[in-house]
Amino acid sequence: MTALLETRGVWQRFGGLVANSDVSISVGRGEIVGLIGPNGAGKSTLFNLIAGVLPPTQGSILFDGDDVTHMPAAERCQRGIGRTFQVVKSFETMTVIDNVIVGALVRNTVMREARRKAHEVLEFTGLAARADVLASDLVPAEKRRLEVARALATEPKLLLLDEVLTGLTPTEAQTGVALVRKVRDAGVTVLMVEHVMEIVMPLVDRAIVLDLGKVLVEGKPNDVVRDPKVIKAYLGDRHAVGA
Amino acid sequence: MGDDAVTAQAIIQSLASGLLMGLLYGLIAVGLALIFGLMDVVNFAHGEFLMIAMYVSFFLFTFFAIDPLLSAPLVAAALFVFGAVIYLLVVRFAMRAKANAGMVQIFSTFGLAIVMRGLAQFFFTPDYRSIPQSWLGGKTISIGGIFLPEPQLIGALVSIAAFAGLYFFIHRTDFGRALEATREDPGAVALVGIDKNRVFALGWGLGAALVGLAGAIMAVFFYIYPDVGASFALIAYVTVALGGFGSVFGAFAGGIIVGLVEAVTALVLPPSLKSVGIYAVYLLVVFIRPRGLFGSM
Amino acid sequence: MDKTFAARRRRDLIIAAVLAALAALAPLFVKDVYVQNILILTLMYAALSQSWNILSGYCGQISLGHALYFGIGAYTTELLFTKFGVLPWFGMLGGGVIAALIAMGLGYPFFRLRGHYFVIATIVIAEIGLLLFQNWEWAGAAMGITVPIRGDSWLKFQFMRTKLPYFYFALALCCLAWFVTWWLEDSKWGFWWRAVKDNPEAAESLGVVVFNSKMGAAAVSAFLVAIGGAFYAQFLAYIDPESVMGFQFSLLMALPAVLGGIGTLWGPVLGAAILIPMTELTRSYIGGSGRGVDLIVYGALIVAISLALPQGLVSLFSRTKAKNQIKGATR
Repeated sequence: MTALLETRGVWQRFGGLVANSDVSISVGRGEIVGLIGPNGAGKSTLFNLIAGVLPPTQGSILFDGDDVTHMPAAERCQRGIGRTFQVVKSFETMTVIDNVIVGALVRNTVMREARRKAHEVLEFTGLAARADVLASDLVPAEKRRLEVARALATEPKLLLLDEVLTGLTPTEAQTGVALVRKVRDAGVTVLMVEHVMEIVMPLVDRAIVLDLGKVLVEGKPNDVVRDPKVIKAYLGDRHAVGA
Repeated sequence: MGDDAVTAQAIIQSLASGLLMGLLYGLIAVGLALIFGLMDVVNFAHGEFLMIAMYVSFFLFTFFAIDPLLSAPLVAAALFVFGAVIYLLVVRFAMRAKANAGMVQIFSTFGLAIVMRGLAQFFFTPDYRSIPQSWLGGKTISIGGIFLPEPQLIGALVSIAAFAGLYFFIHRTDFGRALEATREDPGAVALVGIDKNRVFALGWGLGAALVGLAGAIMAVFFYIYPDVGASFALIAYVTVALGGFGSVFGAFAGGIIVGLVEAVTALVLPPSLKSVGIYAVYLLVVFIRPRGLFGSM
Repeated sequence: MDKTFAARRRRDLIIAAVLAALAALAPLFVKDVYVQNILILTLMYAALSQSWNILSGYCGQISLGHALYFGIGAYTTELLFTKFGVLPWFGMLGGGVIAALIAMGLGYPFFRLRGHYFVIATIVIAEIGLLLFQNWEWAGAAMGITVPIRGDSWLKFQFMRTKLPYFYFALALCCLAWFVTWWLEDSKWGFWWRAVKDNPEAAESLGVVVFNSKMGAAAVSAFLVAIGGAFYAQFLAYIDPESVMGFQFSLLMALPAVLGGIGTLWGPVLGAAILIPMTELTRSYIGGSGRGVDLIVYGALIVAISLALPQGLVSLFSRTKAKNQIKGATR
């Protein structure tokens, strides 16, 4: 069976700066894949290329067997790519349920069905009690959860999570980890970007380490953490030490 | 042959007047650019600041017989105080709005503009006034067959001097650096002990003082009436947006472009359509560069 | 939970029906032509502001150039009527369609602009329209068009002896604009618009085609405003560029929504109900002196409301309601 997502020789340059060079990765159906690496490794760039924020300078991106390289973000969402934002982008003047309805409208044209779907997703993500609260009144951890809920309401085949676990308290992170597992068990493939390895390694089936815009290592989490190249890359990055 | 010479002469003549007017537009607009750059607020009462400056100049002339050229620094000083007070009384509160922030800023300054127009009508009546006799009024000089009205010429020189001064001020003085730092990161500035509100108030004062300078010169050759600001406000917004909001140099360049385009349009189209050229150029520029010529992308 | 939501929608509809019925009875008690005139203008501006609110309030694209569409409605109707004898009703529809097409045509370049660049572009395009009409000889240039009097008739939508038909048309238009808003509010478009207003990037990631959303809002908004313009032209029986396309119309469409509560269902109606009578009364009672007191009062009120109630007058209602009912917070 073909991979759900595949990038083939993807390059991204910003002026003279090379953010991604010749990145080829693939994500199989039903996997949880972690995309990790030190600061400035090009994770966020790659993430945005897959989500369709901008097209790559070179190379192609395949999703579910189709070339989506130049497809706008909205259309990718309709095809089945859902995403969250590292810096949360809730619809602040709308209630939690209304935020989720926006996502649910992708697959439900009748309002009543979209609303029911949204309630279902809020139940699933544990936000049901906060349905009628304004998004701006949520605490940060809830906002992260809302990002996930909104994306899930679009019924994605692939969910892209951008540092959803970073900056949470240990308890919050644990509920987050449980939610990601639950999402995968519901049949959604997950690709998650995280900066800090400790959080994601126990969760992912496979890890891809980026460094300086290139794929450094990929494999089972246990092998990856012991890889000298990975250790060296992370040691070079002062921020990650001790994190 | 003779006709061509006449036409060429006419073109140079109108480009020269356009350039002078453009420099003055730049001076009218720069205060708007400065304030926007400092705190992301568009002052929709900017035209009324100009109107008030013109009245101050007019009354200094009528009651104390001070020539507008001499009183220009006084007008600028008066407007400085006025601008700072407006910030402290109104704009400061508009900045605090948690919801619809953009809307609150637009409409609170807009309401202010209406109040100022009303006050001008109340105290000065809607009559058109002008300064009948001044050192520069109505005089022209001829350079190589090109006639340049003296008020506009002096205005252009004042504008260049003001921009040079502003450049020096922003880059060489402590307050200028505080201004620059505050616009870059108001949060961090608070940490080093700069009072944000004070910098903003002074920024509003400075912006108003600059339009005050422009108003003093405009008073020499333009009618003074309560709605006079409205005719220049839209040109000022276009000038600033053309240059790129917040860019002081952009306002200078934008002013020159607006003045020249206006002059050229007046050559080609009927005079009543001369503003169409300015508006068309604005639309053209922002369609190509959505943040103006010198705005950060 | 869905029940409270549905109940609130139904409650809004009932309140609107009751208000409309009460308004329809008003002419029984109001015989004074001057007051009738104020009522007509209030209803018209409520309708216009409601339409403006669709693009600028719900979708967040602040336009201060809607006078353009108002003028296009007025001019299409009167040009067709005076030059070709086309009935105003067709002119009205035609004006609406033309305005919607122009709004979408302008949308291509305009919707790439953000913030103040967009606002200024809308002001500028309406000014260009005004200047062009002032110089368009065939359309009467600055002199404008006087609508020929053909006697009172619904067919020609022209009434000299009584203002009541205009009153009922304005009421109907206001109800239409309100109902369209009410209906769109709980539709895919309504959700898309609010999402685009709050965060276009996030909206795009959830399958919202941001550009199309803005285009849809612009078209609906321009269409309804042009209908208002056509009405106003018939009501005045005389138009010239300044009196149907001047900047003040752009402002008078925006202000009621802003004061009442921008991006809300009831904001424009509430704002117009307070603002328009106040404008007219200050103009005739204090403005008559020509001394600008009306402007001072009017301007000070705008400053005060925008500073004190950034979410408009409707927030006064929702705040008290929020205590009884958690849901009230958004309205």
